[in-house]
Amino acid sequence: MVSLTINGRVVQANKGEMLLSVTRREGIDIPALCHHDAVEPFGACRLCMVEITKAEWDGWTNYVAACLYPVEDGLIVQTHSSKVNELRRTVLDLLLARCPNSPEIRQLAAEYGVTQTAYEEIPDADNCILCGLCTRVCERLGFKAISTVGRGHDKVVAPPLKEAPPDCVGCLSCAQVCPTNVIQYEDEGNKRTIWNKSFELIACKECGKQTITRDFAEALSSQRNIPEDYFELCDECHRRELSVKMGSIVSWSREAAS
Amino acid sequence: MNHDLDKLPEIYERYPRTPQSLIAVLQDIQKEFHFLPTEALKRTAEELNVPLSKVFSVSTFYNAFSLHPRGEKIIRVCVGTTCHIRGAKQIQEQLENHLKIKAGETTEDKKFTLEVVACVGACAMAPVVAVDETYHGGVTVASCRKLVKKSKKGKKS
Ligand code: SF4
Ligand code: SF4
Ligand code: FES
Repeated sequence: MVSLTINGRVVQANKGEMLLSVTRREGIDIPALCHHDAVEPFGACRLCMVEITKAEWDGWTNYVAACLYPVEDGLIVQTHSSKVNELRRTVLDLLLARCPNSPEIRQLAAEYGVTQTAYEEIPDADNCILCGLCTRVCERLGFKAISTVGRGHDKVVAPPLKEAPPDCVGCLSCAQVCPTNVIQYEDEGNKRTIWNKSFELIACKECGKQTITRDFAEALSSQRNIPEDYFELCDECHRRELSVKMGSIVSWSREAAS
Repeated sequence: MNHDLDKLPEIYERYPRTPQSLIAVLQDIQKEFHFLPTEALKRTAEELNVPLSKVFSVSTFYNAFSLHPRGEKIIRVCVGTTCHIRGAKQIQEQLENHLKIKAGETTEDKKFTLEVVACVGACAMAPVVAVDETYHGGVTVASCRKLVKKSKKGKKS
């Protein structure tokens, strides 16, 4: 165990844990747009910057990304000092120029008092902050269907050759983790479209509700050894089926006992 | 377009079939075809066992790679600070007029691609024009046309 001070309070943490996971456990709200527990920390958005110092640092301070900084014994952390807030305002100011139409960014910026960017707004902004969550999550799932394309000024997230991505299974994970909701998809009847690729949605055998795409089901059953017919029922009907089974076991064992 | 993809297997033979060989393989493909044909990207992904998305990401990251056909010779005009002061702009315009293309484009006969670069690290020779790997210093508006002519001949012999 490691003991550190956050905003004047002494807290315990596990060795090797990142600062951000400790502050979250302590209920401290630090913006962290490029972070998701499902993937390794990446340090792309720089919004989670905090101020750190130690007793022996003689009053010197440093600014680090909380998502990437492992806890240390005796660390003294300020998560919302005026300097930290100023750093975040600068980042938000830049993000606001990049994503002038993103409600998520506008709101976060406003919380830090930035309502108008000091920089020039990007024309035809696509609201992507290049946090890399979508590509990392897709990679983590093993599909690796999308990636960043180009670099610097022209960098975007896109499928290979900017065509419908051959490795995409339509799981929607990328769209769901995107902090600015950039990735569009459409579910219509038994058809799902994402990244310009169309998928067939499986309808639950019992209730008819759409579950996941056929491609995702096939990938899951081969990757994780799940029987393919598992995906023919939706979660709800699975639960119902299970409870009926459980019920019959209970009544069977009661009968056996009596 | 006619690019001879039969040459690909030979390129793959040169390196271990691992993801680590990706850049080396792409460099050789670029050299062979003067760009990276779509089909070659797909084949490379399969041969080296790299996701196609990664192949695309790498091929769009480095300036040395191009997804569109480039000329047999790449003429790069340095427009870094020193060359700029010594007249790079005029040289660029001269070459654009002479080749009838803009910077970043390729001549119709696919002989030349004209590019501007921000410093080739040879400021002492400014203004600099590089034709492929050969660096020419002290280039003038008059001499840059000759450069084009010379490299055309060089190709033939
Ligand atoms: S929907 Fe496609 S691109 Fe998005 S995470 Fe799933 S497989 Fe990857
Ligand atoms: S599309 Fe969304 S998740 Fe992907 S990099 Fe852009 S902002 Fe991040
Ligand atoms: S959450 Fe730490 S840099 Fe984005």
